Amino acid sequence: MDLDVYHPMIAAGDTVAFGRWLAGAEPTVRLTLRSFATVIDVEAVLQESLLRVWQVAPRFVPDGRENGLLRLAIRIGRNLAVSEVRRTKARPADPIDEREPEAPEPAVSDPLLRKQIADCRDKLPGKPREALDARLAAAGGEDDDALAASLNMRLNTFLQNFTRARKLLADCLKRAGISLDAELGS
Amino acid sequence: MTAEEQELLIEQVAGAWRPEGDDELHYHKAWHDLDAAGRARAYELARALRPLEAALDPDGLSTTARAVLAKIRT
Repeated sequence: MDLDVYHPMIAAGDTVAFGRWLAGAEPTVRLTLRSFATVIDVEAVLQESLLRVWQVAPRFVPDGRENGLLRLAIRIGRNLAVSEVRRTKARPADPIDEREPEAPEPAVSDPLLRKQIADCRDKLPGKPREALDARLAAAGGEDDDALAASLNMRLNTFLQNFTRARKLLADCLKRAGISLDAELGS
Repeated sequence: MTAEEQELLIEQVAGAWRPEGDDELHYHKAWHDLDAAGRARAYELARALRPLEAALDPDGLSTTARAVLAKIRT
């Protein structure tokens, strides 16, 4: 799918359209920052990069190739990551790939997979489900200390419950024949 | 640091929350306490978690996407 279909609406200030673009673009942009993961906080760089895409979108001129805005996001993310590496004088574990990135196909949502994941979430025991739901509801807006306090848990207890939730989800999905990323269950 | 303490730091860094601030980039404080292996693991865990979060979101958005949208709207 060419995510540039959302560009005219994004340029006009439509945050719903930008959300749809984000849903498709985020995994790819994150993946292109992998080689920086040991020397910069990729989540922080990624969020700032995506925010900058929103800011420059009204001035973005497509070059005729698919996913131009996604390729721009990848360039912004990489440039920001390189700036951070220079600023902190860190040395990435892997060589930085300086080539112009090819935009991979954006992620596609699978309704059946979504339903299965929701079914497995519904089977979680109380405390792990509370921890998972709190993280989802906060949507990156509150830190884990605040989320733990809201559930009357100590921070470590909250985090242990969250860990348990993702492992139980991974087990449930595995039993349903769905193999997600191995990281979820480890 | 024990292995369990390291795992709890990784779990925090793998989340989408990042502190507010005047400067542009806001690192998670726990990120600084992780060694290279821990940081790499936090990255991989975040990469694995976000599609799961998006699948559980009515609009198909991960917590990263929600955090970015919240910054736009404020």
